[in-house]
Amino acid sequence: MTSAITLDDVGIVLGGLRILEGISLDVRPGEFLVVVGASGSGKTTLLRLIAGLSRPTQGRILVGGEPVAGPSRKVAIVFQDYGRALLPWRTAAGNVALALESVGTPRAERADRVAALLAKVGLARHADKYPSQLSGGMQQRLQIARALAQGGWVLLMDEPFGALDALTRQGLQDEVLRIAAETGLTVVFITHDLEEALYLGDRVVLLGSHPGRIEQTAAVDLPRPRNQLGTREDPRFLALRRELFGHFAGHAA
Amino acid sequence: MTTRDRHGLAAVPFGLAGLAVLLAAWWSVTALALVPRTFLPAPALAWAALVRGWTVGDLAGQTAQTVLRMLGGWLLASLAGVALGSLVGLSATARRYLGPSLAFMRALPASAVIPVAIAFAGLSPGMVLGVVAFGSLWPTLLSTVHGFATIDPRLRDVASALHMSNAAFVWKIGLPNALADILTGMRLSMTVALILSVTGEMLAAQQGLGQAILLAARSFRSADLFAGLILLGVIGIASTLVLAAVERRCLRWR
Repeated sequence: MTSAITLDDVGIVLGGLRILEGISLDVRPGEFLVVVGASGSGKTTLLRLIAGLSRPTQGRILVGGEPVAGPSRKVAIVFQDYGRALLPWRTAAGNVALALESVGTPRAERADRVAALLAKVGLARHADKYPSQLSGGMQQRLQIARALAQGGWVLLMDEPFGALDALTRQGLQDEVLRIAAETGLTVVFITHDLEEALYLGDRVVLLGSHPGRIEQTAAVDLPRPRNQLGTREDPRFLALRRELFGHFAGHAA
Repeated sequence: MTTRDRHGLAAVPFGLAGLAVLLAAWWSVTALALVPRTFLPAPALAWAALVRGWTVGDLAGQTAQTVLRMLGGWLLASLAGVALGSLVGLSATARRYLGPSLAFMRALPASAVIPVAIAFAGLSPGMVLGVVAFGSLWPTLLSTVHGFATIDPRLRDVASALHMSNAAFVWKIGLPNALADILTGMRLSMTVALILSVTGEMLAAQQGLGQAILLAARSFRSADLFAGLILLGVIGIASTLVLAAVERRCLRWR
């Protein structure tokens, strides 16, 4: 089977600084891959490279077997700073519609699609609210709905829950897992939280800093659907956490 | 929203009280004859002149002339200001090259341009309209530039991730993002447009309140002079209120 995403010896130098070096990675179709790294490990840059928002200075990136030459509609991205990524002058429905307009969904179908997408992320009752009237968690749900509206099959998520409180964050983790399972999307998820990585991922990639390179890759063979209590108490979860923590802590310090 | 309301409706009694004090002061000065009546009429006389001018005289027509001149010039300036401002604001290079020139043009008192305009276009209504449009262009243009220059880079990412065309980006992200700035600029432009309409009428002998005031002053008809001033004040306040209402409606999401 061909890979959904392939990175082949990818590196990038920005402003004379080597941000990423020698990144080689294959993401299977439908895989939930989580990249964990401390701040400064270039994990956001990695995501921007896959999204086609930045160009690598070395190596090549393929999505669906084709070289990435720029942003593509098959790749959707959810940014960390939902407050800046949503259009404040558009309602929740309007923000989702933005993606539908851009991919050319016929006007007649938009309202139904918007309603379905908002329902999928639990915002059905908030369609007419502006982002400023929504909580942080709801704004992030909205951004996810907009990303889904794009109709791609790769979903990139850049520390999407980093700014949310613990409870909201856990709710959204389960929601993203459910959506990924329902849609069969290939997901690349960035986080600095090792436990979040293990809870979500089929595979976890540890990114070291200065320059960012792959330190270790671990398959997470925990049963799905995952469960906030059961999964986190599973001996395999704890063993992986212990194994990876050493690597991780060494670089985070 | 609540703070805006507090400055809106709830502030009306205070505003009226202030106006009453002003009127009382005006009345006292005339009642005590501190200033010759040739220069300052009693409020009642000014009011009577206003009513007479409006019903019997041509004050209504002159007001209409001035308002049309102001609105016409302002509309031209707004269209040109938003169009040019978007183009300049979208490009960092254009901003670097044109920024200083625009700032210079803005700082230039537009009334100083009138002699130049007269030299080119003579004492015509078109010349006055041109001066009004030229002078009121800058506030809208510069605030549009600012509105476009301050688009969050993240929204550019969102637009590129969605493969948005440049036109769609301007229409769906650029303009809404700049709207608050644009409306503020248009409000300032309106004030400038009124000033220049009146000045233009005075200098170029065009029908309107400016000329009416000038003629009243020259023939020492102070009541008529003040009637004209009152009307100009009303035009100024009314246009500001209308634009403030438009602003509130357009920026509901804030």
